[in-house]
Amino acid sequence: MAFGACLRTISREYRLNVCITSRLFSSPVKSTASTLPSDAQEQFNEELERKSVTPVDYRFTYPEFLPDPAFARRNTIREKLERMDMLKRRSQIDIPEFYVGSILAVTTSDPHSGGKPHRFLGICISRSGCGLRASFILRNVIDHQGVEVAYEMYNPTIQKIEVLRLEKRLDDELFYLRDALPEYSTFPQDMDPEIKIDGAAVPVNDIKVKLKPRPWLERWERKNLKGVQDLGLPERFYKRAEELATPWEKYDLMKQYRATIPEEEQAEIFSEVYSELHNMEIARKKLKKRKTFIKPKKSG
Amino acid sequence: MSTNAVKMATRFGGGLFSSHGKPTNVQLLAQSFQAFKIQTRDIRPGSKPGTRPDSKPKQRFPDWFLKKERVQYNEGLTAENKAFVQEVVEDKFGPPAIIGGIATYKSPLKVEPLVRGEWTEKSRRTGVIARKIGVYPLWFKDGKKVLTSLLQVIDNHVIQYTPPGEFQQARKLEKALWKPNKLGCLLVGAESTDPQKFTKEYCGLFSKSGVMPKKILARFLVTPDAAIQPGTPLLASHFRVGDYVDVRGKTIDRGFQGVMTRWGFSGMPASHGVTKTHRRAGNIGSGGTKARVWKGQKMPGHMGNRWRVLRGLRIWRINTKYNVLYVSGQNIPGETNSMVYIYDTVLPLRKFKEPPPFPTYYTEYEENLPDDIYYSDVHQFSEPSIMFEENK
Repeated sequence: MAFGACLRTISREYRLNVCITSRLFSSPVKSTASTLPSDAQEQFNEELERKSVTPVDYRFTYPEFLPDPAFARRNTIREKLERMDMLKRRSQIDIPEFYVGSILAVTTSDPHSGGKPHRFLGICISRSGCGLRASFILRNVIDHQGVEVAYEMYNPTIQKIEVLRLEKRLDDELFYLRDALPEYSTFPQDMDPEIKIDGAAVPVNDIKVKLKPRPWLERWERKNLKGVQDLGLPERFYKRAEELATPWEKYDLMKQYRATIPEEEQAEIFSEVYSELHNMEIARKKLKKRKTFIKPKKSG
Repeated sequence: MSTNAVKMATRFGGGLFSSHGKPTNVQLLAQSFQAFKIQTRDIRPGSKPGTRPDSKPKQRFPDWFLKKERVQYNEGLTAENKAFVQEVVEDKFGPPAIIGGIATYKSPLKVEPLVRGEWTEKSRRTGVIARKIGVYPLWFKDGKKVLTSLLQVIDNHVIQYTPPGEFQQARKLEKALWKPNKLGCLLVGAESTDPQKFTKEYCGLFSKSGVMPKKILARFLVTPDAAIQPGTPLLASHFRVGDYVDVRGKTIDRGFQGVMTRWGFSGMPASHGVTKTHRRAGNIGSGGTKARVWKGQKMPGHMGNRWRVLRGLRIWRINTKYNVLYVSGQNIPGETNSMVYIYDTVLPLRKFKEPPPFPTYYTEYEENLPDDIYYSDVHQFSEPSIMFEENK
């Protein structure tokens, strides 16, 4: 029941975002550039015209293009230079769309493996950082041993990033897989990529993970997790969790404002990188179509 | 010497750069005023007049130490009046422009450089004023990562040059110890601003060089061969990739801090009967014969907001379009968007081995540089992924 309600709220939020942004783009942007000289004004107008409408989901597909919202660390020129470098790197390597909960395989070159590339497959349990410092963590269980590898997305030693299963989970971070039964984070290293239909919404995997009994790495009962089965703790644990919960924070508008990049700025940032990202996407699709047919492997 | 150079010499011989020859009328006037000058001396509150003069040197401020800000009165100007004043400003200094991502004014000044000196190992070049705009990683061709600080050289112009004879350091030693200074002084300004924001005397500093009044000033001590014509812009290409620099900045002001934050003391245990002394220093001195606290004892107090220099940082990459230096290290003093001064390094083993752009890089006289210059070891983002070869 809880999951259904959650999905409903998600979809409602999504709709809300859509209407906000559509309003944003339909209204003509009022410029404060009237004080600029005529040639600068013309340039400004031209830039306005060039701005194309970016899809709303870019902030979910390319979250690392949004800078750190901490106000003390922001500088528009640095952010611009960083974005230019990111695009340059993306012109060399396909960094696909993926989410926490997707299954990825990353191929890197390793100076210690004598010229052989190193491939690791696992489930993405967290995505963090922004700009060139963006990173993600892959987790898998190999020989009954949990293994996690943190990758920097823009590290030039990465040769290839494949998305084998594109899906989302109910939580933003899956660190609880460390305390879950190993089968929930075990994936075969020779997994085949699943076929994705173009334009279809990214599916949400509503699997509920069973955690091992305590002791845990963290107090998961306090984290308000959605993708976890009943934790089976005595009543006092839940009572304490309720005492420490901060349910009012979701109404703290200033907190939200400080922790996010405003909608208008997002539009500005993505309008700057949209055309290049879009061209890269098209080129990738063409390449995919041109690929020759590979005979499927016989399994079992 | 070419005719042009002779012209330049005669043009500046009378005013700025004359340290020999007949004194000008202004200098004579200044000399006569010197006779009337009351000798002021900074006297410590403790020392009595008539006793032995204390060893504290005289406080002398340089001639550009002027009142800068003025009260912004509401002068009741009409829109037309304001437009007219703006027009006058633009007539004098050129229209506002965005150069390298920074809102500034197109300086009308385009003068040829002075006769350029030859670089020697003892030459000392000017530094530049920059803004720390952030930190991000670069990767080397061997796959290693380096965190670089981005320092943007913001709209720097040379304002004034004072040759060694005329320039006196603000605080000089006792007469017996004092040696004549061999370094001249270059006054450099950053960030052109509307002159209406400043006082009349502050704007007067810039009248000689014809540069737009600047928000920030800095002085750099240079050898006479590294003197630069006032009005010359200083760019990021004043440095080259692979060079080492010293960066001076003001550290983040952390206010009054305890010993754990300020000095990294471990504090005391959280439990086991410890009361009211968890983050305190503990003992500050022994008893016995010393019976006092030694000097330099680390104690709580004000932390940060001090000038600090980080030396020997290497430049890995230069963006000439936005005038950005990518300098190794993520610990350059100061917050993001604060000002720093960049100098050629003083570390003996990291000094120049080949002549640098001397006295600075002139856009008009040197070949055009690409937008992005990388050091040879640094991986460029537009290059394909790094592959390692099989080692046998």
